[in-house]
Amino acid sequence: MSVQDQIKGFGITFRTMLQKPLTLGYPEVKTPVFPRFRGRHQLWRYDNGLEKCVGCSLCVAACPADCIRVVAEENTQEHRVSAGERYARIYEINMSRCIFCGYCEVACPFDAITLEHSYELSERERDLMVYTKDMLLTPAPKQPPLRTEGQRV
Amino acid sequence: MADYAPVDLAADNLVTFELNGRTVSAPAGTMLVDAAYAAGVEIPIFCYEPRLGPPIGACRMCLVEIEGMRGLQTACSTPVTEDMVVRTNSPMAKDAQDGVLEMLLAQHPLDCPVCDKGGECPLQDRTFKFGPGKSRFIEPKRHFPKPIELSSRIALDRERCISCFRCVRFSQDVAQDGQLTMQERGARSEITTFTGDAYEARFSGNITDICPVGALTSIPYRFVARPWDITNTPSVCGSCPVGCNTELTTRDGELKRITGRDTPNVAVEEGWLCDKGRWGYDIAMSPNRLSAPVVREAVGDRTVSIEDGVAAAASLLTGRRVGILLGGAVTLEEAGIALDLATNGTLDNAVVARLGVASGNCAPVRAATGAQLGDIDAADLVVIVGGDPAAQQPIVELRVRKARRFGARVIGCGARPHALESLGDFTRTAPGHLADGMMGLADAISNAARPVVLWDEADLASDPGAIAALTALLAASPHATQLMLGADVNGVGLSALGVSTTGLFEAIAADEVDAVICVHADPLEAAGSIAWQAVFDGFRGPVIAIATYASAMTERADLVLPALTMWEQEGTLVSMTHRAQRLRPGAAGPAQAAAGWELLIAIAHHLGHPPAYRTAASAFTHTVASHPAFFGMTTDLIGTDGVVIGAWPADDVSPAAIVADPDHLVLVATRDTFGDDMTARSHALRTAVSAPVLRMHPATAQALWLNEHDHAVLISDVGSSSALPVLCDARVAEGLIVGPLGAPGSPIEGALSRNQHQAIVRVERT
Repeated sequence: MSVQDQIKGFGITFRTMLQKPLTLGYPEVKTPVFPRFRGRHQLWRYDNGLEKCVGCSLCVAACPADCIRVVAEENTQEHRVSAGERYARIYEINMSRCIFCGYCEVACPFDAITLEHSYELSERERDLMVYTKDMLLTPAPKQPPLRTEGQRV
Repeated sequence: MADYAPVDLAADNLVTFELNGRTVSAPAGTMLVDAAYAAGVEIPIFCYEPRLGPPIGACRMCLVEIEGMRGLQTACSTPVTEDMVVRTNSPMAKDAQDGVLEMLLAQHPLDCPVCDKGGECPLQDRTFKFGPGKSRFIEPKRHFPKPIELSSRIALDRERCISCFRCVRFSQDVAQDGQLTMQERGARSEITTFTGDAYEARFSGNITDICPVGALTSIPYRFVARPWDITNTPSVCGSCPVGCNTELTTRDGELKRITGRDTPNVAVEEGWLCDKGRWGYDIAMSPNRLSAPVVREAVGDRTVSIEDGVAAAASLLTGRRVGILLGGAVTLEEAGIALDLATNGTLDNAVVARLGVASGNCAPVRAATGAQLGDIDAADLVVIVGGDPAAQQPIVELRVRKARRFGARVIGCGARPHALESLGDFTRTAPGHLADGMMGLADAISNAARPVVLWDEADLASDPGAIAALTALLAASPHATQLMLGADVNGVGLSALGVSTTGLFEAIAADEVDAVICVHADPLEAAGSIAWQAVFDGFRGPVIAIATYASAMTERADLVLPALTMWEQEGTLVSMTHRAQRLRPGAAGPAQAAAGWELLIAIAHHLGHPPAYRTAASAFTHTVASHPAFFGMTTDLIGTDGVVIGAWPADDVSPAAIVADPDHLVLVATRDTFGDDMTARSHALRTAVSAPVLRMHPATAQALWLNEHDHAVLISDVGSSSALPVLCDARVAEGLIVGPLGAPGSPIEGALSRNQHQAIVRVERT
């Protein structure tokens, strides 16, 4: 190692000393993600509150990590969950297996599942990594309260 | 399903033709689709199904270009001829394929995500493979109200139907129930029954297998699983002695569906299943399924774990002289282990016997050349001697109807009227007089080129004259083959192992046995139940019941060990055509239950005599393969299609002969597959159950002062039956009463003697 090399090396050191640090104070400050970033999944609803997912299991077929489990059931007049004939009674994603490839999103014929921007998915127990349908589903929209007969406004 | 018929490329009448520029050959008369498939060229089809009979060319999917013929030809209905030049991939043929698929899809809803057929749908597959890839159709499609129930087990989605007529042809030609038809025309076409009622038939489930789209789907399997969620296990059905080859669909350790196999076993069932074999599996989840061992003590019943149950069984058996009673449906492994334990010193000199028809004296008939069910197709004469095949061995009905479609003559004789009698000339014989009826069949059999004689095991076993007559008939014709219509599911297998129907009853009565194990056997609900009841009332030793469902015996037993059903365990069954076939598990079963063979092995371990085998396969090798009928056989050799077992020295006793005479009424019991206790507990089959009745001739009923629907009790010299309603049926011979065997509550078993299906009775009105 010659003297020139040492000068060159310290040159870089002194140059960067004057720059602002790149480190962010996570978790107070978060790195912005790209628009097409693939994070935690979300199941969507139509505006009328019905689930988009019909439990067709195509995401299961597409999943290379085999981390999705869907058990379908039939909608009835009294219990209508999705817009189609069937709905997913069970929809589970094992997040510790998921590789966030987004194939489920591509496979879905109803755009019912998308990968969103949330990425803080670590847990202390493996069981908690299995995300159930309640965790994945968008909350139902608040129904405007209907006026019952004879009710004063 | 196998869509294309197999082609025999070694036949001597081969013709050579040109296919897509290649020179290929096939036997003359082969349909072009089959010949091309054998040569490696797939011509897409929807309506063609070789098992349904001659092609009809309804879907137009198989259009190909044939030189010298104007326009395009349907390859499914064009036989190959010498020097034919066929192009399946020319622009014209490709254009036709695109066009036909585009037209089919124009009226198809494309609701694949909610369709049960999605993923295993021929329309999907062929659209991917042969379709245009893009639809130009933007107009609104036809819509019908979403699925209607064609029956309580089949959902019909009319907008998905592509009018291929497969289901209609099945109903009209194969099952010949004459119910399904196509109504209306064009876009309004829909499948329905003639009357508009539900499609209730015993083979109705097959239309869900052959439907090439999702128009006909199984309601019990509705939205249950996708093809990639499931595993399919080839197995065999143990509901009746036919032994149809099935495929069990498992999801999450539960049995979800039973279908015919993708490659049907043409020697047995050809891919068709009866509705009981297809949908009866839900009885494994019925409330009277045993799910944990029960120890019955003076202070009350105690539910224990399976380990404690087995230990309790071993302590009950220690130092006692043991009798083992096997049911008619136990597997070869269970029977083999029981025999092994009785001889290897574990259970010293245990008496092993089985319930069921004793047919040792039928050995001379069995010794004649045997036929498989598939051989019936090629017969020119089908002779049915005795029995009630349509009720007792359902699939036989489809085979006989197929043979008749191919031009075979159907004749026969017997005491019981049955559904196949309308197919030909049948003579009614009184019980015990089958030989008289066979006299009239002799000429026809000796004149036929390929006669197949179907004979009923139970009817012949109790009719010594008939065995001699049938043996002579078969010996007289060099071409004649015989096929037994068996009585017990594994009756042939148990006889081949040398398990007798006698011995145990006498041993218990003579106090030579101190403990009894019943393996899938309930003597208190079998023929001769009154005598068994009397014997067990006086029996002071422990009774261990290895059983799947609660029954009279599991109520009586001191220890109940829950066993697995035929859908949950490994094992080998021998069908009535002497075919050894393997059961494979398609479900896990209750946690505190184990297979019968496992329980027997575990008991042997607890008794301090660990056997040399631990698995079903090694138990087969160690205990079954040493018997002459199974020499050299292994479970690997049996494989998925089964093998025909060898001969064995028959040494079972023959039951007492029942000979009808004009002064007495004779009860003949028939086991209706759809009228038994199992069917009655199935939710899916709730509309298919046939009610237990006593069928008799109107004149007989009149002579007894009985009207139709009156209730009557049959009294024989061994006991009496429960009250059953009377049904007048002019086809039943006078002086004969046909009663239901194995019906819920076992109503007529009390009037029968042990191992008998006939009895001389008198009738009392209640």
